[in-house]
Amino acid sequence: MNQKPSIRVLLVDDEENLLEYLSKRLLKQGFSVKATFSGEEALGAAQEGHYDVAVVDLKMPEMDGVETQKRLKDMQPLLQCIVLTGHGSIETALESGQRDAFQYLLKPVDYDNLVTVIKQAYDKKVELQRSKFAEQLEEVHRAGLGAHGLRKAIKELREIYGIE
Amino acid sequence: MESNSSFLTEVQKVTRELTSYKIELEQTRGYLQCILQNAADMIFATDVDGILISFSKGGERVLGYSWEEVAGIPIKDFAEDPGSFERLMAACQEEGCAAGPDVRFRHKEGERVHCNVSLMDLKNREGERVCTVGICQDMTQWKKLQEDLVRVDRLAEIGRIASGVAHEINNPVAVIGEASGWAGEVIADAKGLSPEDRGELEKVVDEIHNQTKRCRNITHKLLAFARDSAPTKGEFDVHELITETISFLKPELKYTRIQLDVNFSEGSLVVNSDRRLLEQVFVNLITNAIHAVLEKGHDDRRIEIRTSKANSDVEISVKDNGVGIPEENRTKIFKLFYTTKPVGKGTGLGLPICQSIVENLGGTIAFESTVGEGTVFTIHLPVS
Repeated sequence: MNQKPSIRVLLVDDEENLLEYLSKRLLKQGFSVKATFSGEEALGAAQEGHYDVAVVDLKMPEMDGVETQKRLKDMQPLLQCIVLTGHGSIETALESGQRDAFQYLLKPVDYDNLVTVIKQAYDKKVELQRSKFAEQLEEVHRAGLGAHGLRKAIKELREIYGIE
Repeated sequence: MESNSSFLTEVQKVTRELTSYKIELEQTRGYLQCILQNAADMIFATDVDGILISFSKGGERVLGYSWEEVAGIPIKDFAEDPGSFERLMAACQEEGCAAGPDVRFRHKEGERVHCNVSLMDLKNREGERVCTVGICQDMTQWKKLQEDLVRVDRLAEIGRIASGVAHEINNPVAVIGEASGWAGEVIADAKGLSPEDRGELEKVVDEIHNQTKRCRNITHKLLAFARDSAPTKGEFDVHELITETISFLKPELKYTRIQLDVNFSEGSLVVNSDRRLLEQVFVNLITNAIHAVLEKGHDDRRIEIRTSKANSDVEISVKDNGVGIPEENRTKIFKLFYTTKPVGKGTGLGLPICQSIVENLGGTIAFESTVGEGTVFTIHLPVS
């Protein structure tokens, strides 16, 4: 595998126009992008596929960014979430104890900055993934399974951690 | 003889009693005079027809008329609505007393005076009404304060709305930013564009990008300033804060042709204090300086901000060459709601609040001014 796998980005924002252009730009730059326009939709997407980084708008009707982010992480614990917020909302988000995001960015975001942060979030995810995977691999080995059992276990692990 | 001397004794006894009654009466009169002279409230008495037969010193202050001027005039004539005052007196007649929580009188000089009126009927031994006594508390200041509070609340509401607007604007600005970025990508890949066209398009896309950044800065500054947060104690550089404040006030300075000089002391000026509150003070002082300079209307428009450090103290001064503060206003400018600006343009809150903030932070604020030449406000703050 000589080509780096493309970073899988899940976008969540009720502003459809914004996501249209943001998706196009990210796609052109080599990211793999899925745009969703609500918390519910995002959860549906997370059900179907694996993502490395999510970019979530804080203020959305019905399910807000904080809850969406929490539920996404329940489904995919290693998913790194970048939360977009209008001025002043950062404090409220932090105060409510929701510190699970990888980073909070102020809207309107600077595109280049967003790309940099996405890459940083991805690096973090890869790191976490590697160490978790290594841990579990150790356990599997210690469990003393035969070659077939090992292959199966490793395949399962790969699925869990979204490693192709 | 016997009957003669007992008669004499009787007469002496009666005379002594009379004298002691006279003394008591004098003392009571004196006591009453004291009260009437001293009370700030307007205290009056009318006969059964509502005509003034007594009027206290306080009354002279409240209504502006002397006793001589009001004697013999029905009290209701001084009320803005004599009819309703008459009804109040009638109620007093019925019940023996009556209260009028907001009675409007007219001052001799024409202003409206709000009074809290309390009436009581005085009866003689036969139970007949002899006179009505009224005590009126001047509430005009209180009423003014209430009106000002309403005004201030409305200004606060406008501030809230402005924040909301700034928030809302960020959304379409974000879309413009992304769309223009995408346009840049498409142009980069487009084939068949002449070099001039390509150059022109790239320039345009760049411009859009810059302007959206500008929108972002404006809204962020407004939102940062409007943020209603708890006091923040911390270390920060005063020079940095002043520079930021000036940048925030750029729209105020635009087209005013005011020369703003900044003379900072060497290096950074770090204090341990409340950044947001101090920012409010600087915004206030600089805005006042701008208005003073504009009011003067001269071509030579200068504002100078200076800082210096001395041991445990930090000194910041804002100097302008504007109209200056007249002598008679010098004591008033730190008073709540005092303003020289026309209605709707100034709240009269700026300086009193600045003073309150600075003093709460352990510092002092003072000023020097010369009419026609300018004013300088100086703040001293402890470093921590």
